[in-house]
Amino acid sequence: MRKIGLVAWREYMDNVRTKGFWIGILAFPLIIVLSATVPILLTKAKEARNYAVLDHSGFALAEVEKRILADDLGVVLEAAAQRYRDGSQAWDRLPSPVKAAGRVYVSIAEAERQALIAALAVVEADAYLADEVAVQVPELAAGLAEWWRQVSAEELDALDLELSRSRYARVAVPDVPDPQAALSQMVNDGELFAYFVIGADIVERDEGCKYVSLNLTDQDLRGWFARRVSQVVRARRIEREGIDLKVAGWLQESVLFKARKVDKRGSQVEISSVDTARQWAPMVFVYLLWVAIFTNSQALLTNTIEEKSTRVIEVLLSSVSPFELMAGKIAGMAASGLTVVGTWAICIGIGLAVVPGMLGGKDASFGGIIVDPLYLLSFLFYFLSGYLLYASLLVGIGSVCNSLKEAQNLMLPILIPLMLPLMAMVLVSQDPNGTFARVMSFIPLFTPFVMMNRAAGPPPLWEYLATTVLMVVSVYLAVRGAGKVFRIGILMTGKPPRLREIVRWMVLKEGVNPSEGEGV
Amino acid sequence: MNYSTAVQLDKVWKRFGAVEAVRGVSLHVPAGCIYGLLGPNGAGKTTIIRMIMSIFFADEGQVSVLDGQDAAAVKDRLGYLPEEKGLYKKMKVGELMTYFARLKGIEDREARRRADELLQRYGLGEWRERRCEALSKGMGQKVQLLITLIHEPDLVILDEPFSGLDPVNRDLMRDVILQMRRDGKTVIFSTHIMEQAEQVCDYVALINKGKKVLDGSLSEVRSSGGRAAVLDYDGDGHLLRDLPGVAKINDSGKQAELLLQEDADAQQVLAAILGKVQIRRFDLREPSLHEIFIRAVGGADDA
Repeated sequence: MRKIGLVAWREYMDNVRTKGFWIGILAFPLIIVLSATVPILLTKAKEARNYAVLDHSGFALAEVEKRILADDLGVVLEAAAQRYRDGSQAWDRLPSPVKAAGRVYVSIAEAERQALIAALAVVEADAYLADEVAVQVPELAAGLAEWWRQVSAEELDALDLELSRSRYARVAVPDVPDPQAALSQMVNDGELFAYFVIGADIVERDEGCKYVSLNLTDQDLRGWFARRVSQVVRARRIEREGIDLKVAGWLQESVLFKARKVDKRGSQVEISSVDTARQWAPMVFVYLLWVAIFTNSQALLTNTIEEKSTRVIEVLLSSVSPFELMAGKIAGMAASGLTVVGTWAICIGIGLAVVPGMLGGKDASFGGIIVDPLYLLSFLFYFLSGYLLYASLLVGIGSVCNSLKEAQNLMLPILIPLMLPLMAMVLVSQDPNGTFARVMSFIPLFTPFVMMNRAAGPPPLWEYLATTVLMVVSVYLAVRGAGKVFRIGILMTGKPPRLREIVRWMVLKEGVNPSEGEGV
Repeated sequence: MNYSTAVQLDKVWKRFGAVEAVRGVSLHVPAGCIYGLLGPNGAGKTTIIRMIMSIFFADEGQVSVLDGQDAAAVKDRLGYLPEEKGLYKKMKVGELMTYFARLKGIEDREARRRADELLQRYGLGEWRERRCEALSKGMGQKVQLLITLIHEPDLVILDEPFSGLDPVNRDLMRDVILQMRRDGKTVIFSTHIMEQAEQVCDYVALINKGKKVLDGSLSEVRSSGGRAAVLDYDGDGHLLRDLPGVAKINDSGKQAELLLQEDADAQQVLAAILGKVQIRRFDLREPSLHEIFIRAVGGADDA
């Protein structure tokens, strides 16, 4: 035991001194920080796409502009309402016209809100609004319009909202005899991202409607603009056919299914953001688990081969037994893996203490899950058992190979199953207690990943117990088998044995000559 | 010395699949001697050594060390220098030596002290804080030898210790072996070069094809081979053939070993040589181990 400890300690210190260890430690927090900040920075850095509209219909563009305004107002008011409900300081910082409209917005029913926005943007008559709301509209609209006109881009950025206004900027069509040719030239010169041509008879049919751009991959602008033109045209058609607006609205209404879940007592509950996070958190854990298990057992394989190729092994074996050596190596690498994972956990902890303040408290739900003992403990258990299982397999392989290249061939049958849980991750998350997930849980190579993945379910207790027992037994068998292979393989030079032969070593007691073709 | 028998093998067999690497070998290594395990490559020397070191286990027969103990139980009292050896490249020299000493049960502080002292004594003092990969091949060999000795083992086993050594390290190795004996320790080493064994061994065992061919003290083994003469000469070696009284001649060009017939008169042999080649030396003695080995193998080879 003392010798295992010594081997483990050396292994640990050796590993801590490698670059890979520190890259491993730093990579995860770095990825988290980057993935949190880069998209924000990118969106902020992304310049508004310039577009132009050649409107032959004479009315569509003006109507679309109103709808764009309505959409942006909707986003602003929804954000205002959110802040009002949260009672956060962010509400106080809002400009007063927004606050005024926001108060009204919160006070009315959900169905009426669209109507209020439409009315404020002067898209439609205030058909749906209750009288006491309707009377306030002109004043609110005027205030908002005034604010909207003079608000600077920086101020809008500070609100941190997804506004069309900051994504797409309309450029006026040049006043020339052939405007389409001029616009095409502008697209070619890169001054315009794209331009639209709206046909003259658009209410009748969409003949002559065009979208011209050099960029064929980014279809956001096209879809966004087309949706709004369609709305406008639809409104015109309704009007022309003399259909009552209320009837038309009702005709076009889609059916919404509200998401609810059932709690333990069988009553229905609303779904909170914690629930959503709970669905997704396991996948994050599975991924971390996978990375941690894979990198550590892989490192173990590499340094076993290194030990062999530098011929330190036989001197070692004169002081420790092969099993002590193997156990020490596995333990040392486990300690180094736990150090990495532990550092990540501390990073997450610190991050959760700091970040929610920055995000206005809305992302704290994920934190609640990470500190959930079910997740933390199972992560720890599945890391250790999964690592032990894969580490013994890889250390066994490492012991019979003399170079990484040789090892790669033998590793293939292990790496392929290791990929499966990653590929099945979404599937298992969607149906954590389905047949597929349950079957996968009982295959020891997959158990750690799949059971972690299913944590949102969560699986019934008996499955936890059964898979844990199965896992412990498999780890025991794997370590024993690896011990046998290691004992023979570690002194072996020359061509690595076939898989079949390795299996034979595990079963037979007979000695195998490790130094075939050499001085025996 | 606290034991009288260093190593005892009783009818030991070791098979690897269909290959019989060691076939019923019995050895007795008395304490405090230098013991040579001799034989050509592939004779089974390394396998025997690995069984003594409890790296392998015998299929049949008994292996015991230090007065009948199980080698696995007394690993800490044994020192082993394998033929294929290396160092952890990334470790510092001092750290590495401390690590191996601690694996042999030496307490940390004492292990450091000994590593320091040995490195100083063998002129590697300034290498203590450098990584092993910086060592030259010769220095690396020295460090490996020091690792074998750092825990002051009672029994040291060296597998082909002289192979690949430069002349300086070869002398160092020989001095270490002789010093060990002076300190009352036992040294077992294997070699396929008989001359090395002849220079230092008290006892030898000749191994061929997994079997022991001969063993005993060096003088016993050699006197079992009859009489011989060593001749240093200049001239045409062909003229030495068919000398009267000479049973066989091992001619190396400048030196020849003449194996005399039982009733031969050495003076007549010398007289017969005179005039054929220029004699620089003519020495009567026992036949070389090489010759004894060849004869023994020739007679006992039943494989």
